[in-house]
Amino acid sequence: MDLPSGTRNYDYARDMAVLRTKTHWAFFIGLFIIVFTAPLYFGNYWLGVFNLIGITIITVTGLNILVGYCGQLSIGHAGFMAVGAYTTGILTGTFGLPFLLGLLCAGLSAGLIGIIFGLPSVRVKGFYLAITTIAAQFIIIWVINHWTSVTGGFVGMDVPRASIGDFTIRVINYLLSAISGLLGVTITPISISGFVFRTEASQYYLIMVVVALCIFLAKNLARGKVGRAFIAVRDNDLAAEVMGINLLYYKLLAFFIGCFFAGIAGALYAHWTGFLNAENFTLTDSILYIGMVIIGGVGTTIGPILGVVVIRLLQQGITFISPFIENAIPALPAGFTTGLGPMVFGLAIILFLILEPRGLAHRWALFKAAYRLWPFSY
Amino acid sequence: MAELLQYTITGLAVGMVYALIALGFALIWKSSSVANLALGQLVLISSWFTYGMLVQAKFPYWIGLPLTILFAIFLGWAIERFTLRPLIAQPILALITVTLGIAYFLEGVVTFVWPMSVAALPRMFPQEPIHIGPAVVSQEYLWAAIISLALFGILSLFFKYHKMGIAMRATADDQMAVQACAIPVTSVFSMSWIFACVVAAIGGVLVSSIGGITFGLVETGLKSFSVVILGGLDSFIGCMVAGPIIGLCENFGGGYLTPLIGPGIKDIIPFIIIIIVMIVKPYGLFGETRIERI
Repeated sequence: MDLPSGTRNYDYARDMAVLRTKTHWAFFIGLFIIVFTAPLYFGNYWLGVFNLIGITIITVTGLNILVGYCGQLSIGHAGFMAVGAYTTGILTGTFGLPFLLGLLCAGLSAGLIGIIFGLPSVRVKGFYLAITTIAAQFIIIWVINHWTSVTGGFVGMDVPRASIGDFTIRVINYLLSAISGLLGVTITPISISGFVFRTEASQYYLIMVVVALCIFLAKNLARGKVGRAFIAVRDNDLAAEVMGINLLYYKLLAFFIGCFFAGIAGALYAHWTGFLNAENFTLTDSILYIGMVIIGGVGTTIGPILGVVVIRLLQQGITFISPFIENAIPALPAGFTTGLGPMVFGLAIILFLILEPRGLAHRWALFKAAYRLWPFSY
Repeated sequence: MAELLQYTITGLAVGMVYALIALGFALIWKSSSVANLALGQLVLISSWFTYGMLVQAKFPYWIGLPLTILFAIFLGWAIERFTLRPLIAQPILALITVTLGIAYFLEGVVTFVWPMSVAALPRMFPQEPIHIGPAVVSQEYLWAAIISLALFGILSLFFKYHKMGIAMRATADDQMAVQACAIPVTSVFSMSWIFACVVAAIGGVLVSSIGGITFGLVETGLKSFSVVILGGLDSFIGCMVAGPIIGLCENFGGGYLTPLIGPGIKDIIPFIIIIIVMIVKPYGLFGETRIERI
């Protein structure tokens, strides 16, 4: 559609390729190198910020599939994240299962809870659905806070660091000892342990790999049959049904996928912080995620990334300047700058909706078009 | 028995306040089909404003409370004029999310101006509890219920007889026809937001004079969504009926289920009701079922 001149589609494979031109490849490889060498230039503080950005990108990408492609509003995504986070916390922390299994189960359980709360979407939409998902948020958090024997309740729960291979080696050692007991010979157990993501940098790589996978998945999902069905449902669900799209299946699928992403993000969050508390998943966060989708650009792959990066960096900026403002205006009561963030983001959501409802992604597309024609823009 | 009576009376009284706040939602929805998700934040900010007037600026009641009403009027006008008017005829998703943006912004303003996050309003109603039969009920609840009922009465009279009220009902019915009759639709929208904000402010003052001002007020606003959902989005009678039902469910549930399930069940009951209503009868008790065409 918006290809630079001279790029032609000689075959279907090239027509469908995501990266079309040499510039695309150059940018992609450049970005790849920058992202994966970032721990070399940045300290732990900034890596922490990037980790949070990565986790949020996964959630918001999922939310974008639900809201942006399928048109089903969810204001409870922080709640679904919490489901994922607590699932992996319970599986890996309480039962000692491997991290990868916990990650997968976190996604699946969040997806299933999402389907349950998405059921009303078959009959209602718009505001009704928004309210249902708000209710979901409150119910999920309430259950987490009051199911103390499993989730630790208000106190919270500890989550072990993510590790790969630990569980396998334990199983092998167990088998070895069983064999040695059977045969009556001594076999020394394997003494190496699996890789544990302890440092901020190692967690950064883990999170970025998952982020890359999720973006890849989301991009291809949106281009395929499922994505097209979602868009048809979004634009007019009755017309979509008449055209033979199974509404029940696709709406619930959208909820499953959107919440699956949230669950994965929640699991990464759990292993990243090492400690879980329901305070980390509030309604305010859910609203912020919606805001990120809006600001980034609804129904695009790059939108969530832009939205999350801009909002999270803005948050950093506000945290950075807050002490200065606080010192500069001593007349106001102490702690007033905590309200600064919500004010700015609320204003950003409102202004974007009024002035640029297609978000930063659209601005980016405009910029690309202008840059390709430069300097002869006629 | 005493318990039952007490729960009933408290539930009815609290339910009336919920119904009052929910009325503000139904007003906006009926006239402009905008879903106002910032209801809780409107309640919150007007309670804080009352606190600022009565406690911080030390105005007497007869100045402070009218000032709160004026503030609510201004707030309603400003919200409609600057955020919703530019978005007329935008998709429903934009209309819902813009109220989320307003909610977020107002929450920020509250934290910005009143960072202490918890405060108490001065007691406006007499303290001593009333004995009704075997039950002991705090007078404040009764006062809240009476004021809510009185407001309902005034508002329904307004809608029945006043020119603006009739115009608002007409706009709810058919926007095109109303425009053809030279009724300024935008000022009707503006009016409905002003009414909603005033009603939310009064509800907020009633709730927070009993329970103090906390961020829990946002939840009170969200709980009144269960009233709207149960009663039907576009029905004033629905609010009147569903409000007390929700209040009763909340108080009975809080009273009788807490020993069985655990503390805090009271706060979650309205949300469970939302889910149940959504699955069983999504358009509520009195709501109009939407029939869509392609």
